[in-house]
Amino acid sequence: MSMIVAHGLTKRFGDLTAVDNLSFEIDEGEVFGLLGPNGAGKTTTIRLLACLLIPTKGEAEIAGYSIWRDQLKIREITGILTENPCLYERLTAYENMEFFAEAYNITDPREKSIRIRELLEFFGLWDRRHDKVGKFSKGMKQKLAIARALVHRPPILYLDEPTSDLDPESSKAIRDLIRKLSEREQCTILLSTHRLEDAEKLCSKVMIIKEGRRIALGSPSQLSMMVNEYNVLEIRLRHPHKKIRSILEDISGVDRVEIGETVIRIEMKKDVEEVTPIIVRHIVEAGGEVLSVTPIRPSLEDVYLKLVKGDGDKA
Amino acid sequence: MEIRLEKAFLIFRKDWKEISRNWQVILPIIAVPLVLTIVLPVIMIYLPGAVYNQGVYTGDVTEFIKNIPSEVRMQISMMDSRQAMIYIVLVYLFAPFFLIIPLMASSVIASDSFAGEKERKTIEALLATPISDDELLLGKILVSFIPSMTVTILSFTVYTIVVDLLTYDIFNGKYILPNTTWLLLIFGAAPAVAFATIGLIVGISARVKGFREAQEISGVLIIPIVMLIAGQATGAFFLGTNTLLIMVVVLVILDIMIFYIGKMLFEREKILVRLD
Repeated sequence: MSMIVAHGLTKRFGDLTAVDNLSFEIDEGEVFGLLGPNGAGKTTTIRLLACLLIPTKGEAEIAGYSIWRDQLKIREITGILTENPCLYERLTAYENMEFFAEAYNITDPREKSIRIRELLEFFGLWDRRHDKVGKFSKGMKQKLAIARALVHRPPILYLDEPTSDLDPESSKAIRDLIRKLSEREQCTILLSTHRLEDAEKLCSKVMIIKEGRRIALGSPSQLSMMVNEYNVLEIRLRHPHKKIRSILEDISGVDRVEIGETVIRIEMKKDVEEVTPIIVRHIVEAGGEVLSVTPIRPSLEDVYLKLVKGDGDKA
Repeated sequence: MEIRLEKAFLIFRKDWKEISRNWQVILPIIAVPLVLTIVLPVIMIYLPGAVYNQGVYTGDVTEFIKNIPSEVRMQISMMDSRQAMIYIVLVYLFAPFFLIIPLMASSVIASDSFAGEKERKTIEALLATPISDDELLLGKILVSFIPSMTVTILSFTVYTIVVDLLTYDIFNGKYILPNTTWLLLIFGAAPAVAFATIGLIVGISARVKGFREAQEISGVLIIPIVMLIAGQATGAFFLGTNTLLIMVVVLVILDIMIFYIGKMLFEREKILVRLD
């Protein structure tokens, strides 16, 4: 079931088109990555979907609610981690959480205090709950801002750079949390990030945008295919012999074979998973001792750089 | 959509907690009334020559009394020169100074609450909550209006007590305050001034960068009050009951206009976009 559906979403500020005719769908429980260089329109896209901005044209439905007509309802069911932590520095961590819990309609005092404690403990901030947020480090503020976004258990979450300002350990904890929210609680997450590592590890679908326009959309593996003409498979053998080259070249689907000291590199246009068992069987039948088989895909970073730079070159 | 008062009061509580911990806001709110309600009356009554010093100011006093409206002249007709001068200064000349209190308090609080929230970049998360524009606006108006009026009424109460205590013997056991003019000033003109200030700041909040700029712009509102003080001091203008009544009616009409313009200009999108 699609939780977020955008059709031709466009936002102009005077002469500047910040978001240009974006269309995409995000399924329930999916982690959807939004990638793009600075000024690509990622934050504007999130603000449109969070009903903070009114689109110039186009439509989006969030859990069936229209961003034109049902703004309060959408704000109720979405949680947002904004670009800035947006915390009240003269209030304590607990007071910040309390305010947002009530703003998101958690009025029962017991429910409110249990939820706040649960989140502050998870983020390691419970012992600092009575400290003013102004005294917090950047990382602590970021954690508190994420806790605030989750306070009302939103089924849809917009996260703008959630792991920025966090140390590696905290970043991992946030990634684990995102995975848990998506897998166990079926929370739909739109993740805008510069960290391609996060997108690669977490997102089932990624959209790359540049100058407000979509330049790629698909799963990380689909995006890899978009930029690579050939799929690559690397096989390590104990003693590779030259006879293997002709055996491999005869396999239907194999386009090129390179034999190194211990590694054979095979390029193919066909799907790696389809051809790999046939290749391995032929090597074993020819007396080869297979040590490892590794499909080589370009990283999301390679894909991103190629697409963003390539598109820029065309322009 | 119906306004949910609990949401407006939630904003009020949150903003008040923040404001009450900010000395940049609290200090002028305490200092200005303190000067007006205690320091100045004491100086006026006890400092030799400040109000009256026989043989030096008599000529001026007589000249000044000539210019005041007959309504006030009647009130002081049975008083001696010293009583008349103290009465005119503390009861009439001081009155417009008390419009500075709601103006200053509401301007400082509203600037912090609207423009300050923008400056501190906390507004986006607030705008993302399911609180409607009207609830947000009402909450922020309340947090500017209620403390401003509380300070004004408290200042008036303290001023009344101080003046009455200090002049009790001078006026042979009579209390000179409060009177109708002051009640109209504090409960009619002061809220109207506070409301006009808040309306103006709501209107400019989307267009200014932060607290200081909002403060500077709202400072223009002090001009009519300074004119009022100068007018009173020179005898060109006098804040009597009738003048005050007219002033309150005009201010209420202005308030309504400023409020609607401010509400029209209070757009979430503009506030947010100007942040970037």
